Amino acid sequence: MRTRASAQLVGPVLRALPRRALGAGAAAGLVLAALPRLLSTHPDPWMALLLLRGAALAFALGLTFLLDDPARHVTAAVPTRRMVRGALRTALVAPFAALWWTAAVLLIPAQVRPPVGDITLEAAAAAVVALAASATAIRLTEEAEPGQRVAITLLATSMAAALLLPQHWGLFATPKEKWWSPGHQHWALILAGAAVVWAACGPEPIRRRGFFATRSAKISPSTG
Amino acid sequence: MTTTVSAAGLSLRYGSTRALDAVSLRLSEGVTGLLGPNGAGKTTLLKVLATAQPADSGTFTVLDHDPSTTGGRQEVRRVLGYLPQTPGFHPDFTAFEFVDYVAILKELTDREGRHREVRRVLAEVDLSDVRGKRIKKLSGGMRQRVALAAALVGDPGFLVLDEPTVGLDPEQRMRFRELIARAGEGRTVLLSTHQTEDVAMLCNQVVVMAGGIVRFEGTPAELTARAAGRVWSSAERDPGAMAGWRTGLGVFRNVGDPPAGAELVEPTLEDGYLITLDGMVAEVTA
Amino acid sequence: MSAVLEKAPPAERTEGERRSWAAVFALARFEARELLLRAPVLFMFVLYAAWIGWSMRDAWTTYPALQDVDRLTQNGPLLPALAVLLCANQAVLRSRRQDTDRHFDVLVLEPWRRTVAFALSVLPAVALTALFVAAQFTWGVLAPGSVGHGSVGELLVGPLTVLLAGSAGVLLARVVRSAFAAPMLLVLAFFSILFLGAVPGNSDGSATRWLVPVIGDASTKTLPSDLLGRPAAWHALYLAGLALTLALAAVLVNGGRTKTVAAALVVAVGLGTWGAVGQAGKVPAATVAARLVATVNPAKVQPCARHGHSTYCAFPEWMPRTGTWAKVTDNVQSLAGGTAAQEKLLVRQRVDARYGMDGDGAIEPSTVPYQVTVGTRWGGPRVPEFAAAVSSVLVTGSEKATSSLCDGRMVTIMWLALAWQSDPLAELRTVRLDDSVTGSAIVLSPTNPMSMTSEQTTVVRELFTAGKSAIAPKVKAHWAELTAPKVTTAKVAQLLGVKAPTGADKCE
Repeated sequence: MRTRASAQLVGPVLRALPRRALGAGAAAGLVLAALPRLLSTHPDPWMALLLLRGAALAFALGLTFLLDDPARHVTAAVPTRRMVRGALRTALVAPFAALWWTAAVLLIPAQVRPPVGDITLEAAAAAVVALAASATAIRLTEEAEPGQRVAITLLATSMAAALLLPQHWGLFATPKEKWWSPGHQHWALILAGAAVVWAACGPEPIRRRGFFATRSAKISPSTG
Repeated sequence: MTTTVSAAGLSLRYGSTRALDAVSLRLSEGVTGLLGPNGAGKTTLLKVLATAQPADSGTFTVLDHDPSTTGGRQEVRRVLGYLPQTPGFHPDFTAFEFVDYVAILKELTDREGRHREVRRVLAEVDLSDVRGKRIKKLSGGMRQRVALAAALVGDPGFLVLDEPTVGLDPEQRMRFRELIARAGEGRTVLLSTHQTEDVAMLCNQVVVMAGGIVRFEGTPAELTARAAGRVWSSAERDPGAMAGWRTGLGVFRNVGDPPAGAELVEPTLEDGYLITLDGMVAEVTA
Repeated sequence: MSAVLEKAPPAERTEGERRSWAAVFALARFEARELLLRAPVLFMFVLYAAWIGWSMRDAWTTYPALQDVDRLTQNGPLLPALAVLLCANQAVLRSRRQDTDRHFDVLVLEPWRRTVAFALSVLPAVALTALFVAAQFTWGVLAPGSVGHGSVGELLVGPLTVLLAGSAGVLLARVVRSAFAAPMLLVLAFFSILFLGAVPGNSDGSATRWLVPVIGDASTKTLPSDLLGRPAAWHALYLAGLALTLALAAVLVNGGRTKTVAAALVVAVGLGTWGAVGQAGKVPAATVAARLVATVNPAKVQPCARHGHSTYCAFPEWMPRTGTWAKVTDNVQSLAGGTAAQEKLLVRQRVDARYGMDGDGAIEPSTVPYQVTVGTRWGGPRVPEFAAAVSSVLVTGSEKATSSLCDGRMVTIMWLALAWQSDPLAELRTVRLDDSVTGSAIVLSPTNPMSMTSEQTTVVRELFTAGKSAIAPKVKAHWAELTAPKVTTAKVAQLLGVKAPTGADKCE
């Protein structure tokens, strides 16, 4: 029964997706990745890496809008779980995201392309962080469309991280630096951590315990 | 009458605010009105009973299902219709598509049967003519009815309606009352409102809440009876009254403790409501 | 806000105008408060404060030059600028998002006046940034031993960047009404600018290079402030003009098509263009000539001062520092023997200013006997580097003679340069290029570097272990032999009474 419901949900969920935000993120990413070819310049590998990172960030920003649902309150108490609906949205976007990333990578001229596996790990981590952040916003607030706030937070955080994180963490290293491979272990950790947060924010709580809700109520009685 | 929904000791705080303070109540078939001033905790109570928001503590059951486990909550949601205070929509969906979408989410998987059901509820809320129109093109009253149709779809046994008549003109409100009265036949309907007339005309049960606490639970007649002997008319505004206003007839209608020899008049539900709230104020200040 | 809700103004026009503007300012104050209290803005200002603390952490020991500190204030404000752009954009879109446009659009205050209020609402954030910039610069001014002059134009860049970001956010919201436009376009713009900036263009005086808010330099050296040749004032004018243009354009597209707005827009575009043209110009001929003189013939522009028996000549901005140099010279010279102990040195500050901040040129060693070169920076490794230059001149007679040095005299040079310090080994580490204290290494000095062999390093370390008081008399006693050309490292070790290394001197 549940699978049938999921199958019939595909159509409406596809229509309910924030397609414009996702499309804008994808388009901005492709424009960035296409810059070297558009301008027919020969970028150095560092520039190519930077552009791919920019593309991944643009797409991740689009993903922060994925769980925006203006009808959230109307559908707050239906038997089809929120997690199922969220997972369905993600599943519908996933093939599109894979296709998009392939296109973005191929747009970068082969001779300056960074190691594809490593940069894909970075892009995947950025995407999962975006998904985890929007899932967290849905889980902790009652906002129907938290996407914009999440996008701003993600953008500000990533810029600040690029500026302030110590170089030896290697998150924004270049392939020739010795921090490249430890950096990608850190990216894998980020991916795993974000996936855990994402999964943890999926189920709707039965009781207001666990993270934030009751505890914050007890610790800071003045808020609210 | 058999109890269909019962709650015991429901509590919930937002920071230092007690939105619900050990709320216990019993609902039975028919329409129950939930009255209370702004910030009384009405919306919070409805959200909790609709499983849209978990409580800090306390238990409740809906049609013999206990939502304290994930599976139990699913069972509750299968028999539930919920109209939130501020419904949102996918503006690009048509009215039909939107209700159909909610119907799928309510696990109505047989396509033909579901479409029949969606058409039925849209007819019930009088939207058959505009079911192919996009929601963004509909008026505010129509949108409110789309949301009600979404709550009604699937013939739920327990309907939770949060201020369904807000923003409707008198004629629409009249029609809404009919609708809800019909929905109350054979179902349990819990409806929050600021309108004492809604309660007087629709409900066979009434609950008054204030400050997160249930102040009254009973029939509308019992609530009205609370004001018996405490409403009087006078030519001048009575300074001893807790409330007083000039009626269309030019005399003052006073609610409170009447002076000796006052000309008592027949109380209304609203008088009973005001007296109940006043008792609360006295309790709090005492 | 309350002013908005007041009754309709009386018929008299000027009175109505006045009230409208009062309402605009009231709304601007309200929005400014909202903006400053938004979490991203607060967070970025906190980060910015932390960044200032971090970037100025060594200011008290590195003798900053204020013409460097002013440019150092420019990168930090990008943090609040980012948040201000996004949040100002979000604030303008808020009323659409929460569907109050329909309500607000019929209020007394026209939409374009509300846009003016939104544009004004970023000003407190700009003022706060200016305060932070001023604090950072003041920190530099207060730092002991700071020299030089800051430029108002450079200091204005930070606050103007925040203003520009705010105006851009407001304009963006008035042009594109989606919630996701601002973050997306920001990413697009940021990475495109980085990319386009890195595409090699014409390197000399590129006009487009100055179009972005913050312009870095190819060089990290310190120059006298009058030789920098950065069009700082033009650039500030350009940024101000651009920010005004964006804000006025937002007002214009929102229906503010009054003559005043149009005229102001023309003025703003004019200012921006004027600034853009001004900053794109070539470095003035007078500056180029002054750079050449300062590089080739600094004596022409440098006053001199005497401390002890030596003379110190520096660019005017560095004259207060000559006393600090003299202390180092005196310390080194007090350890020397023979005539070197009484030699009258000429310490001259030199810098390669020919390419401004666009490139570096090495300073050639001086051929004049007993002339020592000192750079424009001080503190940290610059102190032992200068000490090494002094001691090398004392040992060999001139900087030029040191260049080809490859014998035991290197031991004496390093011992003289460092032995007077409280922790000579730590100083040895900072003066060597690879931060090592064993093996062979390059030793930095204000002019050409010197090289130390592995054996020399070992001997120098043993001398440090033996202690200054034990070695100093021996240095004075054997001064002539220690400073004789071709003396071997083994011989030096033997003369000074430490274990002699095996193997001949072999320079890399």
